[in-house]
Amino acid sequence: MLKNDLILRNPLRLMGKTTDEILHEGGFGAVLSRAGVGKTALVVQLALDSMLREKNVLHISLQDPIEKVTLWYRELFQNLITEYNAEQIHDLWDRILPCRFIMTFKIAGFSVPKLEERLADLTEQNIFTPSMIIIDGFSFSESELSQLPGLKELAERCRIRLWFTVPVHRDETFGPDGFPVRLAETADLFDVALALKPADTEIRIEAPKSGEPDIPDTGIFLDPATMLIKDRH
Amino acid sequence: MSKDIMKVRNIGISAHIDSGKTTLTERILYYTKRIHAIHDVKGKDGVGATMDSMELEKERGITIASAATFCEWDGHEVNIIDTPGHVDFTVEVERSLRVLDGAVLVLCSVGGVQSQSITVDQQMKRYRVPCIAFINKCDRSGANPDRVIAQLKSKLGHNAVAMQVPIGLESTHQGVVDLVTMKALYFDGEKGEVIRIEAIPEQLQTEAKEKRELLIDAASMFSDELTDAILEERDIAPELLLNAVRRGTLLRQITPVYMGSAYKNKGVQPLLDAVTEILPSPREVTNEALDMKQGETSVPLESDATKPTVALAFKLEDGAYGQLTYIRVYQGTVAKGATVVNARTGKKLKIGRVVRMHADQMEDINAIPAGYIGALFGIDCASGDTFVSPGLNLTMTSMYVPEPVISLAIVPKDNKAQINMSKALNRFTKEDPTFKTYVDEETNETIIEGMGELHLEVYVERMKREYDAEVSTGNPRVAYRETITQRADFNYTHKKQTGGAGQFGRVAGYMEPAGEGDFEFVNEITGGTIPTQYIPACEKGFRACLKKGPRMEYPVTGIRVVINDGQAHSVDSSDMAFQAAAMGAFKEVYSKAKPVIHEPVMKVVVETPTVFQGAVMGLLNQRRGMIVGAQDEGVMCVIEAQVPLAEMFGFSTILRSSTQGQAQFTMEFSQYRQVPQSIAEELIAEAAKQKKTAVA
Repeated sequence: MLKNDLILRNPLRLMGKTTDEILHEGGFGAVLSRAGVGKTALVVQLALDSMLREKNVLHISLQDPIEKVTLWYRELFQNLITEYNAEQIHDLWDRILPCRFIMTFKIAGFSVPKLEERLADLTEQNIFTPSMIIIDGFSFSESELSQLPGLKELAERCRIRLWFTVPVHRDETFGPDGFPVRLAETADLFDVALALKPADTEIRIEAPKSGEPDIPDTGIFLDPATMLIKDRH
Repeated sequence: MSKDIMKVRNIGISAHIDSGKTTLTERILYYTKRIHAIHDVKGKDGVGATMDSMELEKERGITIASAATFCEWDGHEVNIIDTPGHVDFTVEVERSLRVLDGAVLVLCSVGGVQSQSITVDQQMKRYRVPCIAFINKCDRSGANPDRVIAQLKSKLGHNAVAMQVPIGLESTHQGVVDLVTMKALYFDGEKGEVIRIEAIPEQLQTEAKEKRELLIDAASMFSDELTDAILEERDIAPELLLNAVRRGTLLRQITPVYMGSAYKNKGVQPLLDAVTEILPSPREVTNEALDMKQGETSVPLESDATKPTVALAFKLEDGAYGQLTYIRVYQGTVAKGATVVNARTGKKLKIGRVVRMHADQMEDINAIPAGYIGALFGIDCASGDTFVSPGLNLTMTSMYVPEPVISLAIVPKDNKAQINMSKALNRFTKEDPTFKTYVDEETNETIIEGMGELHLEVYVERMKREYDAEVSTGNPRVAYRETITQRADFNYTHKKQTGGAGQFGRVAGYMEPAGEGDFEFVNEITGGTIPTQYIPACEKGFRACLKKGPRMEYPVTGIRVVINDGQAHSVDSSDMAFQAAAMGAFKEVYSKAKPVIHEPVMKVVVETPTVFQGAVMGLLNQRRGMIVGAQDEGVMCVIEAQVPLAEMFGFSTILRSSTQGQAQFTMEFSQYRQVPQSIAEELIAEAAKQKKTAVA
């Protein structure tokens, strides 16, 4: 199996697009779910898909150390190649690894100016220029929400697709766009929302807010055993 | 020597360089009355700390060889192994951890969990060593034990729980509050030897209560009795709480954290109490040996002095009276005059002098029973050898020993140096399995191999100091390897008719990448096209080609050779003919299988003030480094990268000058990876040039 097949077999294609096209350049995407359902697993797969297409991903974790983030990638990549019998792709992991850069901050230490400073360190020396940024662990507490406009401005200016994991709570009320009511004011900043909904033995992936009007039910889900994105067929 | 095995503790003191572990050990020895004066690591008195017995260590202020020593505390015998803190010497740390039952992880209250602590922690996990933590240097400016506890949780994933609260920090550090007894401990007297127990100071009451709650909460997971006491709102007895903490620690599910300042003589005695109260005795640890008769199946060992003996030689040292072999006895007793068998060589050995070590001083004893650490004189063995009673066929699990990644040519200055150098090399290779040496057949130079630049540098210096062997060194050489990337078929006939008996052999098959492993030979010959007696000769022929790749002359690895056809001649075929045919086939097919060069890539972790983050990433990037990530730690940040070893020479100097000496790094072997085409071309050109020079 060729690397391209691995890319094409990604069930995200069932949404009618490539990962890139789910979100436009400068766009904000959100993966919403309760704690422990699989937000990180989903964003890591979005990242792996980009890396396979040789697009750089900057993964910012505000909760886990580098080693733990690395472990997520390793495990999901391993599951992915096992699932699609792609073991024969020689050195693929080594080849895609340069497309990923992990940054970790303590929640209190994270700010837009600080991120801009770190990004400048990377881009000015030509070390790494991301086309996608994942921010995992952003708490969406009231004090942090004020950072979102700055991040949006940064994403637009640098033409970066920016994905967030958004924690939600069991007893929250949600708007039609999939966002909890408490985040209604900032929900407009987001172009795409993917919601993870546990149902029986699987975790459904819904797209309450999408760049396209016609994809309310994506028909894809997370397999709880491997945490891989799968389709029903 | 006490016979109560439950009152024995074999512990290691592991930590990052400069966390103060040697100072801590020194204080422990002082309070346990093994020494009567305290010397500092870089002592102004020129004596140096007791555990740093090598001259070089004293000069550099680091611990290289782990000295074993024992002491007594509260009726317990404590054997301590002081382990080296630099990553280049981690084989020493690994070996120490292999023989220990528990460890004290020393952390600096300012530096916190540093990269080396992470490496050491991984090693502890590998050998399932329960540990307690000691946050040292609470008297230093910037001390913050709470931050270190948080790092233990976030960086190392420990369920760290404070057993104490510091009374004052930095220059006002006076003592600690014990959260088990809820008493304040002060350390009076000239050397902190007098412990004054008082009520908790008013200003610390609330904090102490809160932290005790956290401690009880964490410990209750391991004791139903404690949970009941909490639910019934009964007073919690110190023993009940300590027992619960102990249970959690032995399961490696809780890490009790103690604190103080070894240098200022504060908090060391409570740590010693914790070693005896919390860390396990040899009987509480499961040790296993491998039964060589039963296909290396695991056999549990019992810490019983009356059973047949199983002991492991974990360290060798060259002393004034000959080779000193440090051993850990797992089962039975190693006694003076007894006979044991070296399981590796099968040779019988008679035990001569048996001693107990205290850094570089020793005490003669009659026997080392199960669970104890001691040393033997006059035993010829290598590090890692197992000694067993005659009739037993057990071996301790082999320790993980990484392959060397760097080599250096050394040339003795004169004849005397030559003789001393061989003595030194003989000793070092026995002491350290990651240090290897050989003579290059072509250049006739002596080559030493090891795990890093500093690793080899230290041995070169030790040769000079300990053996008076002056040597000059060449440039360090990286251990490149070759491998193939695709399958290629071969069909080669070796035929010679030059009078007398001829030579004839034909081998056919294919060569393909094997992934893991160095070399695999598969015989798929059917119908006897190559008679069975010549198959080993074919394998030998292929193997002979692996030492030097035909094109670039690096060792060839990761190859599977399959032979499936061939031809023999009733008169002219011989072992030699088929060996030559295999070698010819290898040369013929190798270039068709698209060979590439692999180089050792190191995991480099740099800790730097955040202001230099950009500069450090630039440095790593210039060295073909792939930066895995950057971890922001407030004022400091940790950058992790994968950098080819070939690019790391002299990195420490450049790093120092680029960060005003404020950054430090550790480096360890990560993996072999293919070199980029441009670099491969340079290496090929260089190899061709060298070949030409050699011919000329």
